[in-house]
Amino acid sequence: MTPSLRTFITGAVFSFATVWSAQAQTMSVTPNPADSDEPDEYASVTVSDPLEPMNRAVFKFNNGLYDYVLRPVGKGYVRVTPKPVRKGITNFFNNLRFPIRFVNSALQGKFQRAGLETGKFAVNTVAGIGGLIRVSDAVPALAAISEEDTGQTFGVWRVGKGPYLVLPFFGPSTVRDTTGMVGDHFLNPLNWNLKHNIDWYDWKVSTGVTVVNGVNSLPGAIAAYDALRKDALDPYVAVRSAYIQYREAAIQK
Amino acid sequence: MNLRPIKNILLASLFAVVTLHAAAVEPHEMLKSAVDEVLAIAYRSDPTTVRLSERIRPTLNKYFNFEAITRRAIGPGWRQFTAEQQKRATALFSDVVIRNYADRFEAGDRPGITYSPAVIPDSKRPSLRELATTIDYSGKKYSVVYRVEQSGDNWRIYDVIIEGVSMIANWRAQLDPIYQKGGAPAVIKSLEQTLSLPFSG
Repeated sequence: MTPSLRTFITGAVFSFATVWSAQAQTMSVTPNPADSDEPDEYASVTVSDPLEPMNRAVFKFNNGLYDYVLRPVGKGYVRVTPKPVRKGITNFFNNLRFPIRFVNSALQGKFQRAGLETGKFAVNTVAGIGGLIRVSDAVPALAAISEEDTGQTFGVWRVGKGPYLVLPFFGPSTVRDTTGMVGDHFLNPLNWNLKHNIDWYDWKVSTGVTVVNGVNSLPGAIAAYDALRKDALDPYVAVRSAYIQYREAAIQK
Repeated sequence: MNLRPIKNILLASLFAVVTLHAAAVEPHEMLKSAVDEVLAIAYRSDPTTVRLSERIRPTLNKYFNFEAITRRAIGPGWRQFTAEQQKRATALFSDVVIRNYADRFEAGDRPGITYSPAVIPDSKRPSLRELATTIDYSGKKYSVVYRVEQSGDNWRIYDVIIEGVSMIANWRAQLDPIYQKGGAPAVIKSLEQTLSLPFSG
């Protein structure tokens, strides 16, 4: 055997030994199902639910309401309203909720996000015809801003979520998020006493706006809710777990 | 100075590294293949009467680690299951997950997907990776994170987190009370019951 061939073989054996040991190491870190020391990354998502019997009753009532009243309404609405119109309405009301996102971004100390929200509002209101077209999507920095609300602000301020609550009509919530809804209500321009400030904004217009806003958001909300309930072993628990996880993730963003 | 031995060692090392690289598919490559294959099946243009859940089953079996999914969805109680019960629970739960996954697809536009690089979520567990993706569907963007685990030479998906909602955490929340009340037989029975209900997927 020539020295160079021997060196090659030694080198190859050495290299394979290294690779083999690296692979053996990777194999050994693969968790063994029977290993009781395996960390459990799914042990932490919990919520207290002392009002479960009442919540389950409201959950049942809501499901009836969604299945027999709101779903048919949503379906009919989708049938008679062209997609661009629905999208325009969604964009309009979403743009109008700018103060909720702006104030809460600022209250959470996310000033850059508050600035981006302002930019998005300005662009969509001016170039997007009062918010009907979301032109901001063409700007990468404005396309995916995490939306803040009062409930999330309480979360960032380390207010506990409190017991889980199922609200009639609105669905899953917590005591913290229900309180947050009150904050959002006052930050929504639709509730800024428009009747006293705008001549033509009487109760009929106000009711019409609320109904259009509500009905327009129905199809999306019902689809999301259905995805959670479908094939669940216990739909009540599935929705509760999803809601809590979703809100925790929103607070982290 | 004779450099030949050093050159040969380097060459051999390079050869070994190339062999290793060819054998191991990176997590992001695995995920992209999985997503591409599922979308190709879900959005194929020719009509078929076979349920979507049945059509995507072979692909999901290839890329998902159903044993790992079931073990995590059941939680610490898994260790009290007999080998037979673990096998049965995994088989049933695979059906539930595949059915549930198939239900998430809606007719219409094919979603656009943007991938982010894989991250190691926990430095103590180097066999896990998290891969964030953004799904662009009907003008809305959704965050979908895949958790993958190395099993042998391959990376396999064990959790899908849609808008912060983990599939496994959601199942754990439902299965744990059932396990606490009636143990492994109750879990198996409830999975059988769920599968006996009609579905649309």
